[in-house]
Amino acid sequence: MQFVVNIMVLAAIYALIACGYVLIYRVSRVLNLAHGELMMLGAYLLVATASAFAASPLMAVVFAAVMSLAVGGMVYLFLMRRMTGETVLAAVLTTVALGILIRGLIVLFWSAQQQHPRAMLGWDNPVIVLPGDARISLYSALLIVATVIVYGGLFLFLRFGRWGIRMRAAGQNPLLAAQRGINLHAVFALAWGLSTFTGAIAGMLIALDSGLDSTMTMIGLKAFPAALVGGLDSLVGALIGALIIAGAEVGVIRFIDPLLADVVPFIVLIVMLVIRPWGLFGTREELDRV
Amino acid sequence: MMKKWIAVLGLATAGFAVSSANAQESVKIGLTGALTGPVAGTYAPAVEGLRLYIDKVNAAGGVDGKPIELLIQDDGAEPSKAAANAKRFLTQDDVAMMINSSLSSTYAPTIAEAKRNGVPLLFAASVCPAEVFPPADPNLFCTTAFGAKYDSRAALGFIEGKSGADVKLGLHAMAIPVSRGEIDFAEELGKEMGMTPVSKEITPPPTPDYTPFATNINNADAEWVWSWAPWVAQIKTFEALRRLGWEGDYLAYAHLEAEGELERVKDPEFFVVGANALFSEGLPVMADIMSAAEGSSYPANQMTEGWIAGMVIEAALKAASDPTSAESVREAMSNISVDMQGLRGGPLEWTADNHFRTQQNYRVYRWNPDSESIETVQDWTPFDVQ
Repeated sequence: MQFVVNIMVLAAIYALIACGYVLIYRVSRVLNLAHGELMMLGAYLLVATASAFAASPLMAVVFAAVMSLAVGGMVYLFLMRRMTGETVLAAVLTTVALGILIRGLIVLFWSAQQQHPRAMLGWDNPVIVLPGDARISLYSALLIVATVIVYGGLFLFLRFGRWGIRMRAAGQNPLLAAQRGINLHAVFALAWGLSTFTGAIAGMLIALDSGLDSTMTMIGLKAFPAALVGGLDSLVGALIGALIIAGAEVGVIRFIDPLLADVVPFIVLIVMLVIRPWGLFGTREELDRV
Repeated sequence: MMKKWIAVLGLATAGFAVSSANAQESVKIGLTGALTGPVAGTYAPAVEGLRLYIDKVNAAGGVDGKPIELLIQDDGAEPSKAAANAKRFLTQDDVAMMINSSLSSTYAPTIAEAKRNGVPLLFAASVCPAEVFPPADPNLFCTTAFGAKYDSRAALGFIEGKSGADVKLGLHAMAIPVSRGEIDFAEELGKEMGMTPVSKEITPPPTPDYTPFATNINNADAEWVWSWAPWVAQIKTFEALRRLGWEGDYLAYAHLEAEGELERVKDPEFFVVGANALFSEGLPVMADIMSAAEGSSYPANQMTEGWIAGMVIEAALKAASDPTSAESVREAMSNISVDMQGLRGGPLEWTADNHFRTQQNYRVYRWNPDSESIETVQDWTPFDVQ
């Protein structure tokens, strides 16, 4: 049972991060290589708000999440918008530069020290005992719950929401969408905002569970194979891809050799790229456009 | 025309003489360190401690009236950046000593550059390379507290003293060569001592969840765990074990974060073994560090490594016949004994053959829930370095 719980927690982490890659790629065809850094920034924003709202911990979390949404939108409006009309490669390289900038700024503002936002907020992390004597910490359980809510919310938003439908339209055919009066910049800014928001939720919950340090940015990159395996333009694919990668990783740790944990996501990715380069739920046409 | 050229030549010569005089006014030391990037938390506080110590020396008049100019360059733990930093220090800045406070992956280029230019290279807060142990490379020195193989000897000796040799031992390392090498050594040493290694977990540097690794240790019924890895990996593995309901004893290396973390975790079965004294000792030198660290981004108790490096650098420069000459500084470093003022279990001694230290001392600490403070569980235990 603990084995299954371990897979679910890791899959939730990867899925929550991977949906950020998918949201931006699906709408604007940009591969955001600063997603790990934006996720980490969201967690550091919680450190900032935890100090400012010490008397109201819940407010600190809400405020940090809203700020993350705003940061994502601003990244588009003040940086990525300028890349409109440029090559995809130029946009991707811009995100690499953005990542370097965020890493530097985080050290400047919060130093390189490990942070413990949970202790700052005065919260505990009790262990929940599940059937079969499996155990899960409160924040790990919240990671799973948050993943379900985020994916459920995004499904409803994209299927039925006015702005969600606009996002899908902009992703499918930006020219036609613009001709129909859809404000593409607003749609792209919203996609960046939502992507940073979901990444920040993951970052905050990981930080609340086990602390925050600058290695978090590498965790963001580890979720990338999940998005690729599922298909870069599919949210369902990101979810399934996360489950596959997490299952393979935890299985290798448990039954083969923990040393292989780092490479197995990339072995799965390579196998997928050989068999089905556009991913499990991605579309071939999308890959050609990359 | 000839007079004009002589005048130009004269001015150029005068300018060169002035710039040479300026260069001799200060002792230049170049430091390449991982001040940003994923591992910065391990190095940046120590570099800050060193900088504060050098400021203190300069405020007191420097060395032989010459101020020490500490040139700090960030390498982000990237070998290419470390190599570029080293080249700059050696070709542009003309440093008398170079310091590496970064990941072991940056060692090869900095060692090569330092050797090529005949400038001594000091490893401070970064893991001591094999070349500083006897028989030492004449150009390489190390002040860092932890020492491969000696740490595991001290750790397993402590476990044996607490629970005897008949224990089920869990081992934990990070997937980097230096950490894995130490835990492989500990595994063999444990077997020789009669212990039963039941689980050896190697966690990748970026691990989102340590629970799957901890589950293996828990399932193996380990009674003790010895972890030798960067602090983040050590503490996260321990906390994952506790969340799984594991009730054994955990021994980790006392990196610079140890003191603050013992106070945060407050677990009496979580021990740390290390070669630096913790600030709970309340030594006078610690009051000096705390005073210097006021207003800093890092707590004073994370600066011991840098402060110790500063003490050794000051002593070496004072002992050198010409502190601005790399050759003279290296000669002084090859035969030196520095009083650690209680920060370590004895003086730091380097000989021509040993650039690690002649004796390594270890103390073990834990959190005492009764006194609500950190306590010394085992006092300084010496190991001769041969």
